[in-house]
Amino acid sequence: MKFIKRHVSLIFPMVAILLGLEFFIVFDRTTKNYEESLKESYAMLVVATEEMSIDDFQSWDKRVFKVAEIEKSKIIDRVDNTFKDALKSNLDEQMPNFYSIKLNSYLNNRALEQVKQNFLKDDKITRVETFDTLHRSNYGLFSFIKFAFGTFILFMTIIGFFLIVKQMEVWNFLHSQRMKVMDIFGASLFLRSKILINMAFVDAILSAILASGVFYLIQNSWVKGSNIAILQDNVTKLFFFNDILLLCVASIVIVMIAVFLVVINVKEE
Amino acid sequence: MSNIIAVQNLTLAYGKEEKIIDNASFLIKKGDFVFITGPSGSGKSTLLKSFYGNLKPQKGALIMGGLDMTNIKKSKLQELRSHLGIIFQDYRLINEWTVERNVVLPLWIAGYSKEVQRTQAKRLLHHVKLSGKEHKYPMELSGGEQQRVGVARALSKNPFLILADEPTGNLDEFSSNVIWDLLENACQQLDTTVVVVTHKIPSVFNIPYRHFTIDEKGKIYEIH
Repeated sequence: MKFIKRHVSLIFPMVAILLGLEFFIVFDRTTKNYEESLKESYAMLVVATEEMSIDDFQSWDKRVFKVAEIEKSKIIDRVDNTFKDALKSNLDEQMPNFYSIKLNSYLNNRALEQVKQNFLKDDKITRVETFDTLHRSNYGLFSFIKFAFGTFILFMTIIGFFLIVKQMEVWNFLHSQRMKVMDIFGASLFLRSKILINMAFVDAILSAILASGVFYLIQNSWVKGSNIAILQDNVTKLFFFNDILLLCVASIVIVMIAVFLVVINVKEE
Repeated sequence: MSNIIAVQNLTLAYGKEEKIIDNASFLIKKGDFVFITGPSGSGKSTLLKSFYGNLKPQKGALIMGGLDMTNIKKSKLQELRSHLGIIFQDYRLINEWTVERNVVLPLWIAGYSKEVQRTQAKRLLHHVKLSGKEHKYPMELSGGEQQRVGVARALSKNPFLILADEPTGNLDEFSSNVIWDLLENACQQLDTTVVVVTHKIPSVFNIPYRHFTIDEKGKIYEIH
């Protein structure tokens, strides 16, 4: 019982931290994908009196990624496809140039406004439509989800760290006397901390396996059984095999830092 | 005979406070049995601490087994400590380890094989009259028995110097006699240097010894 208690008291906060880390990784992976799709589906409309090239747009704002000219005939057809050819040709000459502009990232509304103002500085640009209402609602929802999730992960990590600090105090109480005695008999720092290192190492690996197991179950059991489309679409992104390695490394690093801090704080009597 | 401890104008103090040991000079040679006595708070234990590097000299020189303790590196200090046998009044055993494991701690640190450790533990526990208690834990033993484990630990690696801080304080007569016999034998048969800090020199002591005393001002005198 004492043995289990000793291990669980480190494994529990470590699993909390590792779950937080893995949630962050998975969330980052899936939101990057979502952000990419939002970016892909978004374009601004620019109206110019003269023909423009991508270089012109990029000289005004570096965030311009792609420029596509909208054919005037298509616009005329959308207005009314019963126009006669002569009228169409006349309209074509009279109409300004329309461009669809794609950006290199999914910007917030302030940045979008900045891009717009940069374009409008040139006299040849007569109008810029950013479709900011739709953009704002998409971006707002996206930002809120990101913020809420980030806060949750941060909260989990903070609690995990507090529990580890508590565990360090327990370690100090349990191991300092032995380390002091060993120091008096000439044991090296490594030898003095060997027992603690071994125990912490095993706990770190167990924590990583447990955290990986949770995500493996989420991916292979819960998500497949659920009817949540967005999760089922992204099921492969929920857990990669490499994540086990990453969690192991993170777990070992955190635990070894904790061990090191305990060991160096053991003072001679 | 070579010097094991050389002290020259040694001053010891905690921080910048009052001097604990003031301007002491003496030599302790190989095979010496030395008692250090003095009133409570005179600095006997502090002097012993400086011998195993737990307190650095404020002034003067302290040479232990050829090593200058004033600026000793951690690695050298570890090496020195691994060749010392130290006995404490409060035993300082590792409570979560068995008696056997406590006894062989210095051998384990030095990397001796399990077989050597087991043989040496058996031999020493026989000498300290604790045969059969190898697998007990310190908290299961009496104070006298715990101190005998402490003595066995100090002797386990055949140290060139044994430092003992009140080794028989508050112990029963049987345990005290066992401990004094062992320390006498180590000195006489193995030529081990022994330095004992104590309030009272045992009434019956069978080998020649030197006696230093420390007065309340931290001055050390050799009186025997």
